[in-house]
Amino acid sequence: MLEIKNLHAKVDGREILNGLDLTIPAGEVHAIMGPNGSGKSTLSYVLAGKDDYEVTDGSVTWKGEDLLAMEPDERAAAGVFLAFQYPMEIPGVATMTFLRSAVNAVRKARGEEEYSTPDFLRTVKEKAKDLKIDMEMLRRPLNVGFSGGEKKRNEILQMSLLEPGLCILDETDSGLDIDALRIVSDGVNALRSPERCMLVITHYQRLLNHIVPDRVHVLSKGRVARSGGPELALELEKSGYADYGDEATAA
Amino acid sequence: MDLSVQQFRSEAEQALLDLYERSVDALPGDASVAALRQSAIWTYAGLGLPHRRVEAWKYTDLRAAIAEIPPLLAESDAPVEDTAFEAALGKAFAQLPAYRVVLVAGAVRTELSDVQGLRDAGVEFGALAQMLESPPEWLMASLDTASACGDDVLIALNTALMTGGVALRLPEGVTLQKPIHLIHLDGADAPGSVYTRNVLVTEDGASATVLESFGTLGRAGVQRNAVTTVSLGAKSAIHHIKLQREALETIHLNAWVANVGADARYNAFQVSMGAALARNQVSVRFVGKDAATDISGATLARGKQHCDTTLVVEHDVPACESRELFKLVLDDEARGVFQGKIVVARDAQKTDGKQMSQALLLSETAEFDSKPELEIYADDVVCGHGATSGQIDEDLLFYLRARGLPEAQARALLIQAFVGETFEALDDEAIGDAFAAVSADWLGAPAE
Repeated sequence: MLEIKNLHAKVDGREILNGLDLTIPAGEVHAIMGPNGSGKSTLSYVLAGKDDYEVTDGSVTWKGEDLLAMEPDERAAAGVFLAFQYPMEIPGVATMTFLRSAVNAVRKARGEEEYSTPDFLRTVKEKAKDLKIDMEMLRRPLNVGFSGGEKKRNEILQMSLLEPGLCILDETDSGLDIDALRIVSDGVNALRSPERCMLVITHYQRLLNHIVPDRVHVLSKGRVARSGGPELALELEKSGYADYGDEATAA
Repeated sequence: MDLSVQQFRSEAEQALLDLYERSVDALPGDASVAALRQSAIWTYAGLGLPHRRVEAWKYTDLRAAIAEIPPLLAESDAPVEDTAFEAALGKAFAQLPAYRVVLVAGAVRTELSDVQGLRDAGVEFGALAQMLESPPEWLMASLDTASACGDDVLIALNTALMTGGVALRLPEGVTLQKPIHLIHLDGADAPGSVYTRNVLVTEDGASATVLESFGTLGRAGVQRNAVTTVSLGAKSAIHHIKLQREALETIHLNAWVANVGADARYNAFQVSMGAALARNQVSVRFVGKDAATDISGATLARGKQHCDTTLVVEHDVPACESRELFKLVLDDEARGVFQGKIVVARDAQKTDGKQMSQALLLSETAEFDSKPELEIYADDVVCGHGATSGQIDEDLLFYLRARGLPEAQARALLIQAFVGETFEALDDEAIGDAFAAVSADWLGAPAE
């Protein structure tokens, strides 16, 4: 479903991704682990289409199409969703207004009919309830004054409303306490389906107890250094990233 | 007229004197009003049109901007269709529930106005032109308020040439349930000048929301000079709101002058999006203790539009609070000016004054000039000011686009959000929504 071949990318003139290969078949959840600076977040931004990330070589094919040729909003319409590590705060935009604009923009681009107001509200209400999101929170400006957990739950709400085919979770576990982690993980697991694949980026194994991956890849110096089953995450938890060029751990 | 006061006069400066000479006999008012006019035109003759070496007009050279002086626009009784209101003000403002008063060339169009409703609600209402023929004492006092603005040429010209407008007085304790909407609609096939003066007075404990909107009727823009004086009695409140959406040929000169009594609140809110050149002055003077003012608003400008907002707050007495927040969205070669002066007199201890102006520059060639001026003669005060200018945050833009919003829509949403923060100063939700709608129109995006 997602096929990344020999991906090289630069940020500010520095090469961060250095020949990365990764294939995720439909229905599978793959985890990317690795030390700080190994290129995990860069990979997520390159896939979502952020401007300052320059792809110098390689290809990314999504459902047979050249993902790198698409604008960020076209990628969203094509089903790519990035749950941000640090969701943006936008004062002056009510969360509900934002959700509705996003959902309708994506539906329009997919050739689907836009939601009517009552239908949209009903859908949001249902999904928000599962994520224990108060409707009052959705009337507030987007992410402004939200706690870390609220922001991440809001990301998962957006993910479930936009019905993506590729879910990229960038350090979704960072800043979450154990209860919030469970709510967020349940929300993600509920979206697992044979038509959907997921890329879960995390520094720690903890998240993978809740979202159990089909495959685990260890990223080092901008490429996949090792791949394995879920047991690889447990092994890393014990040994650390010392073998993968993390100087902090090695020292 | 004696030309000796000023050495050099531009053609337009001379033409203004000629316009006064030609029109003076037909201008409304009794002998006391005529004396005010005479004194005001002398003030103007001595100063001429302000230019960039006049500090208060540093960034807006009116003498350079005005090349011609068109004749005073004649009153008209031509019908005004509902669609004309929508075209001029936008649907939301055209349909806003309010006591509506429509002014064309300064004259009240009673058939389009709800004067009876105002009077039933307890408001003293009169067309200025008629009231000037035998002005009551409170009206003369208000006209004097403006005359007291000494060397303000904009106001002096208005006093000399005012032909219309309205006078509104709220007797003690009267509170209106609906806003008063003064609609200034002007325009003609040929250029014209319009000088209007509105007078608002709230007696002790009275309160009202007064919305003034400015739009263009027909094709050509006008040279507009509109002044409103406001007198607030003790414990009274006025929310004074303005929408300026005039045609691009318009020169829009506007001054609000408010005297605020003890425990009173004067809130001014202005959104400017039209006219080639706009100068918006708001001067607030505290004359009683424990009063407050909030002056805020937004400017939306593109092309070669020039929009100047100049505020003066005079803390003459102790324990008053002033808040200022203006946001400017400037595209193409537009130029936005914000000048904010806060004067704290020696006796005005416990003054609390804050000022902020923020510009969002959408192009490399847009320009924002900000000039705060704090003159503080008291020692126990809290006063602060700030100004920022910046571009659209690329990270926010990416976030929205990653959620599927096409670039243009994402940009519009961010600009709306930037401007929308000022709308929070409005208590009235319907008016806030109406501003959101007209600013969305301006951005070319559908309103949510």
